[in-house]
Amino acid sequence: MSLHQSNALIDHLDSHFNADAPSRFTPEQKEEMQRLIAEDEDVAREWNYLQLAVEAVHDAGLNKQVKAVRKEWEAQSATAPEQDTTTAPDTQEGGIVRNLYRNVMRVAACALLVAGGAAIFKYVRLSSSSLYSDYYNSYDLNTSRGAANQEAIEQAYSTKNWNQVLALFTTGSDRNNKTDFLAGMADLELKKFDDAIAHFEQIIATNSQSHDDYFGDEAEYYLAISWLGKNKINEAMPTLEKIRKNKNHKYYEQVNKMSFTDLRLTQYKENK
Amino acid sequence: MKVAERYTDAELISAISSEKDLNPAIHFLYQQYSGATRSFIMSYGGSEQDADDVFQETVVAFIDTVKKGKYRQESSVKTFLASVAKHVWFNDLKKKERAGFREKQYESTRDHEEQDVSHQIGDLEQKQQLRDLLLQLGEACQKVLLLFYYENLSMKEIVDHLPYENEQVVRNKKYKCLQQLTGLIKANPVIAGQLNELIK
Repeated sequence: MSLHQSNALIDHLDSHFNADAPSRFTPEQKEEMQRLIAEDEDVAREWNYLQLAVEAVHDAGLNKQVKAVRKEWEAQSATAPEQDTTTAPDTQEGGIVRNLYRNVMRVAACALLVAGGAAIFKYVRLSSSSLYSDYYNSYDLNTSRGAANQEAIEQAYSTKNWNQVLALFTTGSDRNNKTDFLAGMADLELKKFDDAIAHFEQIIATNSQSHDDYFGDEAEYYLAISWLGKNKINEAMPTLEKIRKNKNHKYYEQVNKMSFTDLRLTQYKENK
Repeated sequence: MKVAERYTDAELISAISSEKDLNPAIHFLYQQYSGATRSFIMSYGGSEQDADDVFQETVVAFIDTVKKGKYRQESSVKTFLASVAKHVWFNDLKKKERAGFREKQYESTRDHEEQDVSHQIGDLEQKQQLRDLLLQLGEACQKVLLLFYYENLSMKEIVDHLPYENEQVVRNKKYKCLQQLTGLIKANPVIAGQLNELIK
């Protein structure tokens, strides 16, 4: 494309851009230019480049303007307190209002300090294991059946004999998701997080193969809790997010009561 | 401190669309909404500088969206700004990830609304690249182009602002500068590629 053609295209763009500006084109010439843009690929490409260039100028101009106002706003915000102290002595009525204002501001500042201190304390305290302590609840085994009919492992679990639960699981031949779950919970009570995780993952894998959900929800929830206990919040979060999105999940209510702000803050802190 | 004008959402949109008194509208956006964005960015590990930069980018994207008539007003200005800020910040984190920063932890927190605004505000990364290209021009070129295309000044008014003899000299300068800028854009493989795809 020649320089003359390119300049003509720029003039055409300017007349588009500013309809009030005097145009050097007659209506027929404008039509011809439009036809060229529509039919000639090179001209169309050049036209698009020019529009993009003007877009870039617009964007840069807007950025500059916003930056200038931002600077002005920042300067005003920074000098506001100084202006308070340099004003002329107050009249009696104005003074009362101003003193009241200052007292309110002092109280607000104190409240802010306390809140800030609490926030810092909370941040320092936050960790996967602190969240584990906050959110861990023992699992209550449904004992609707008579005690006499309970299997040995359930009896051991009900009496909180965790080592007995694990021994019975290890020696027992009739394993299913329930025995795996009880063994996982016994491990969790004994803070043997790796073993607990292995049991819960086993249940999830079994269900996934059999397309079943026997103790699936329980396993998912306590798996996430186990990861928290193991200080691995990144592993816990996907499961917690999944439960949080599923209203039909047995642990939906529990997970929704958790503070996801605390969880994410902990995630940030531990990934730093 | 100078008290900023107060706007309802509708008044704010109207002020930005009409391009009259844009500065008070920007001032209001800062006074009203920058604090929340700052808290959000800092809670996600950003510095104060990050927060300021993200909010500036957010305001620019918001004004641009409104000016182009793409703001759908389905949500409040506050919600829209929060979503844009999230979008800008997560994109920044993504860029940092390319430079070795681990950000996958944040992906799960991206919500539908934040992803939805990306359709309204366009490709911010491309805008940043174009802005960088403009900065490669000399100062005089940048001024001429900004005065004409952004400030909407006539050739005659530009002669009063810049040390050029007459309107024709300014006009020639503007031709050259715009062609120089399009040359830089053509030489940028990413942007040129996107444009060529569009034309095909």
